[in-house]
This record gives sequence, C-alpha cells and structure tokens, in this order.
Amino acid sequence: MARLVAGIVWLVASIVTLDPLVPVRLILAAVVALVLWSGLPLRRIPGRLAPLGFAILSLTAFSILLSGSNADPSLAAVATLGPARITGPAIAAGLAVGLRVVVIALSTLLVFGPSDPTRMADSLVQQWHFPDRFAYGTLAALRVAPFMAGDWATIAAARRLRGLQPRGPAAHLREIGGRLLTMLVAAIRRAERLALAMDARGFDSGIRRTHFRELRTTWRDWLTIGVAFAVAAAALVLPR
Amino acid sequence: MTTVQEGRIALESATPPSIEADGLCWTYAGRSRPAIEGLTFRLEPGRVLLVLGPSGSGKSTVARALAGLVPHVLPGTWKGTLRVGNLDVAQTPARLLGERIGLVFQDPDSQLVMSRVDDEVAFGLENRAWTREAMQARVPEALARVGLAGFERRGTMTLSGGEKQRLAIADLLAAGPGLLVLDEPTANLDPPAMHATFEQIAGLARVRRHTIVLIEHRLEAALPLADDVLLLDESGRQLAFAAADAVGPEAVGLLERNGAWVPRAWQGVAVARAHEARAAEARRSTEAGALLLEAAQVRIAYPADESGTHLALDGVSISVRAGERIALVGPNGAGKSSLLFVMTGLLRPDAGTVRLRALPRDGEAGETMRDPARLRAGEIAARIGLVFQDPELGFVARTARAEVSAGARAMDRGRGRDAHDAHDDHGADGVLAHFGLGHLALESPFRLSQGEQRRLSLAALALRPPAILLLDEPTFGLDRRGTEAVLRLLDDLRAAGQAQILATHDPRLLPACERVVALDAGLVVFDGAPGAFLATPPYRPAGPWRDGVALAIEPSGGGVDDTPGRAAAPR
Repeated sequence: MARLVAGIVWLVASIVTLDPLVPVRLILAAVVALVLWSGLPLRRIPGRLAPLGFAILSLTAFSILLSGSNADPSLAAVATLGPARITGPAIAAGLAVGLRVVVIALSTLLVFGPSDPTRMADSLVQQWHFPDRFAYGTLAALRVAPFMAGDWATIAAARRLRGLQPRGPAAHLREIGGRLLTMLVAAIRRAERLALAMDARGFDSGIRRTHFRELRTTWRDWLTIGVAFAVAAAALVLPR
Repeated sequence: MTTVQEGRIALESATPPSIEADGLCWTYAGRSRPAIEGLTFRLEPGRVLLVLGPSGSGKSTVARALAGLVPHVLPGTWKGTLRVGNLDVAQTPARLLGERIGLVFQDPDSQLVMSRVDDEVAFGLENRAWTREAMQARVPEALARVGLAGFERRGTMTLSGGEKQRLAIADLLAAGPGLLVLDEPTANLDPPAMHATFEQIAGLARVRRHTIVLIEHRLEAALPLADDVLLLDESGRQLAFAAADAVGPEAVGLLERNGAWVPRAWQGVAVARAHEARAAEARRSTEAGALLLEAAQVRIAYPADESGTHLALDGVSISVRAGERIALVGPNGAGKSSLLFVMTGLLRPDAGTVRLRALPRDGEAGETMRDPARLRAGEIAARIGLVFQDPELGFVARTARAEVSAGARAMDRGRGRDAHDAHDDHGADGVLAHFGLGHLALESPFRLSQGEQRRLSLAALALRPPAILLLDEPTFGLDRRGTEAVLRLLDDLRAAGQAQILATHDPRLLPACERVVALDAGLVVFDGAPGAFLATPPYRPAGPWRDGVALAIEPSGGGVDDTPGRAAAPR
C-alpha cells in the first residue's frame, strides 16, 4: 500500500514542474526504491523500460523541435537542423518531457511490478476497501492471462497450417479480426469455467469474507509514505 | 450444520448427507430441451454414487445441481425436488449449500484461482468467513491429506497436472463438506496422475465419512469404488439407478451404448473377436510407404528458460512414412506438443534438422525434402495438418460448411488458382455428411457440441487431406462412442495413404496404432510395436501405463497383463 502511495506521489511531483532536474532526482529515487523494495536487479531495469524506448525518444525529440522557445529570437541557437533552430531552453524543456515519461514508467513498475499480485489484491481490499468481486475477479483473470497468450499463438499457428496467408492490408485486417473473434470465444469459455469454479467455492455469496493473509498498515508503511513525500518535496524544492 | 463459527474442526466432521431426487428436471435458459429429466433416486449417507452417461447427457448438470450452482447461479427452469441431507436445494440459499458440498471439475487450470498453493486452499475458507487462526491450522492439514504437505509456498502454475488436481481436492476437503462431487476429475491426466487420483478417491470412500458422487466413464477404475450407479441417456433422462453390485456383464450393451468403457473382462467372445480383427487390421503394415518426414537430433529449450538448460526436446529423431499410424505417448510435459510443433515448422529447433517432403516448386522436377518452417502456408497445408486439443482454437470460418471448404480454398489460392470451384462446395457437403455433420452445415462451429466440434476439426482437413495428419489429444473429452467415431474416420483417411500421428497420454488408443513412440523428459525412450510397449512400459512406475490399457477398446494381443492390481471387476 505504501508502494502505491509513493508511486502516485512521485508521479504527481514529476508532472508539476517543467524543470528537468526534478525528474532526474525522482528517477534516481525510483530506481533506488525499485532495487530495494521490489528486488529488481539494477541491470534489468532498462530492459523493462525498453518497450517505451521509442516513445520516450520520439517525444523528447519532438518536444525539443517544437518548443516555443525556438521561435524566440532573443535566445541564441545552440544547433540548427535545416530551417529549424534549437535553443538551450528548448532542449531543457524537451528533456523534461522525456524524463517525465521515464518517471511515470518507473512509478508504474514500482506499483505494479514484480510485487506479488495477490498481495496487491489483498491490499486493495483490506486497506483501500475495494469490493471483493472486483479485486479477486481481476486477480483470477491475471492468473489465467498466460493461457491467453498461449491461445493466441495456437490460433495463429492453426491458421497458418490451414494454408491461410493473408495478402494485402485488407486481407490482413480480416485475418486479425478472425483471430480476435476466436480468441474472444476462448476467453469467454475459460472465464465461464473459472467463474463457475469460484462460485462453487462460495465466492460472492453474500458473506463477508475473511482474509488468510493479513495486511495491516504499520508504522513502516507510514514511514515509507512520509519518506516518499519528503523525497518528492526535496526533488521539487532543492536548488540546482 | 453451522460449523463455520467454531475455530478448530476435524477434517471430516460434517455428517455425510443423503441425496434424494424426485422428478428432477432442469432446462438451461435459452435451450428448448431439458438437460436432465425425470431423475428420481435416493442415495444413502456415506455411499459412493457413480454417474454414467454419454457426452452431453447432463452429467455435469447433475453435479451443478448438487452444488446448488443450478438453480442459484445459472439461469433456467427447475422442476421436481432435490434434497441434500435435510436441505432442499431449490429453496436453500447458495451459501448454506456451499458449506456442505464441494465440487471438483475436470480441468485443473480452470478451477484454481490463486497463484500460491496456500492462498488457493484458503480461498474457499475465506469465502465462508473462517477465522484466520482456523484457516492457518486447516491449510496444512488439507494439503497433508492429499499428499501435498510442504507445498504451501509453491506457485500453482509450477505444479504438474496431477498435483493440481490433488490441490483441487485439498480445496474441496478443506471446508469439511459432507458431500464431495467430482466431475470427471481424471479426464485431463496422464496415467500415473489418473491412478493417483483414483487412489485418493478410493481412500476417501473407504473412510465412509463423506457421501461421494463421481462422474466418470472409465468403469474399470470407477466401478469398484462405487456403491450405486446412476445411468443417464443422451437426452439426460434416467435410464437406471442400481446398486453397483447389480451391474454386471449383461449390462454391457446398455453401458456401451451410453458411452461407458466397460471392463474388458465383461466383453463377450464375439465382441472380443471383432475387436481383434480391427486390431489386426490396424497393425497390418502397408508396404514401406514413402518417407514423408524426417527429424534428426532435434533440440529445443523451453522458451521461458534463458539459460537453455531445460530442454523440451533433447536430441529427438523420428521418421514418418506414408500410411503409418504412430501413437506419440508420454506424460504431460514430456515434449509431445513441442515435437508436433517442430514437425509442422511452427517451432524452430535450437539444434537438429527437420525435413518434410514438399511438393515441387516451379521449375523443379520432383518432390524434395524441405525445412517446414520455410514453406509457404499453401505448401504446408498440403503436406501436414494439425488438429488441436481444443478444436475451437482451430476454427477459421463462420459456418461448418465454410470451415470444411476453407482449407481447399486456401490451397487453391496458394497455388494460383483463384477461381473457387462450386464443385468444391458439393465436396464440402459430402464431407460433412460423411462425418455425421450434414445437418449442421450452416451452424457456427462454436455452437456445436464437443463431439461435433472434434469431428468438424477433422472434417476441415478431409476435403484435401494432407499427407501427414497430426492430432493432439484427439479423444480428450470424448466418451466411448465419440472415440470410436473418431477412430473410424481416421481409418478412412489412412486407407487413402495418410500418415497419422496421435499425440496422447491415453493408453486406450495404443492398440489402434501400429507403432508407438514414447517420450520422457524430451528424449525418445521407446519406438516400436504397441504390444511391446504395453508389456513393459518404459516409465517408472510402469503400473498405471499398463493398467490404463485394460480400459482399451480392443485387446492388443499377447503379452499384456489382465486385470489391474486393485479390486477385481464385479462378477
């Protein structure tokens, strides 16, 4: 639970200002937190961020190019790209945007990353008072998610073996549509079976559930939250 | 009844209830015919009831009715009465029923909710508002009871099929219900796991502290455990309710017609002779057919394993000739599916080669052996086809007829013939009729019954049959009649020269194949005749693999042990 709060706090802090140094500090803090809390080894962090790499780079590049300060004639151009001028403040602003995305990504990793999803669900229900149905239903769905990936691969394989090879964009779209339909059927079937099994074990029968694993908000949680706020404040306020 | 509030309870404390049905009838919402009709019987407390019937006969509906899922969770129309102990199912709220009854389904993956074993067992208890202390005491007890002591912190996904089913039984027992309902619990399991599960159930039955309802169609294993038998016909009507002792060889006809696998000892001489003839036919080796596929020293690591030390296939070599029917056997996880995928080119081996005899391309004189992964879709489909364990994943069209002609259409297009013959549509109807699906030509494949879907997935590859047909667990979920129908259809295809590979962990199919290739942990441990395999299965323990075949559809000739070690079949 503390994790969730910390993640949100830092996310907000990074959005609040345009100064690029703020996200850098927050990134450092987030990385430290990830390593300590989630046990994610340092070298694996870039791997986790990789899918966003393209987005981050392009966002940064475009922000730099399109920044308003490029048009301001009083600012000296640091570089030129054809007809475009790039000024110092523009680079700073662009970097800020890019780095902000990194902070968001890291915060998300912190909250939803390698932590035990059951713990997450328990935390949502016990500490945040989410409805049981939603939290544990989602947990069960997460547990069968890997099967869905397998199903998708099987569906694709089956089609190829039947000789179906779409040619041209329209055919490709139809092919994907067909696959999605089959996938939907498979997903619904699985969901029905799982839901029935959960019902058979008394889920959602109107009784107030008890909890096998207890999650209490201890002083440690509050301390962590306090530290998170402090770090965010420091990142925002400290002079260069 | 309310043992819920008390902290500590013995594992089998609830008194086993009786079950009494009178004119029980249930129609699911949106269906025109009832799933079950006119069920009337009484089961005394502590006895074991075996429910038999063909696929689709409503056996699962009986299970659901006992658990109260029907009518409280699933919508439909209820008629008649069903009492469990002194509770009337239709009138009692689901949560009160839930305390007395536990239900186990056939697919372990679709009934385990949580990712850790101890959470999983506690899930049912949490739903029934047990105190934390009580749960913490009960979880290890329940796990120990099914032989999973010490598994508390394991991930449920890391368990084998047999272990998962045991976990499901632990879930079942944890809440201390008086009535246990098991719906085909061994359908998905390989012989050792199936054996272990039946032993577990036998253990529970012996103690006589539960009333047990077991839905199964493997009579040889299940009948010795049962006290009473309820037989349903394919429309869900009650055909018979009798003491298990009274069920003997004279009921063979009735039982076989309704989907059960009768013990071999009961089969009359004439029947046995007919089976022998078919087995001999299957073993008749066609003249050394052309070599269609050759795989050499194939190695594949598990995709999730980065270090590459866990191998799905570890140096597997196999060759396939025209007209052969090969049974590819092995426990779950032995590498059967990986091998099938490698043969079709869907998976690339990390080492070793696979060559498939392909049609000549433009400019080539004759057929050559090629890497299937490099073939175009149209080329592959003509040479090798794969029928998946879950037929629904393989459907590509909106109607059954389109499903059958889809393959032909794709192949024609692949070879540059754009005009699709109207002639082929007639061909499709002919195929549908042959597979018993003529009346379903315009139905969506997803609305067919399980048996019909299986036949349709075969029919889809029958208009332009590929040279090699691979089948992944083709009889999973089918009763006796369904299995025989599938085998007959396969015989027809084979008569035209098709090579067939049946990947299965069901030893009942072995006698219908002329060659057995057995895998174990990614290695080929046997490649020879079924008789030799069954005489000495290359697995430890060998018992379940040998006993499993006692349930076979035909005797496989000399060298096979008769009745399994457990209680003898009645009469």
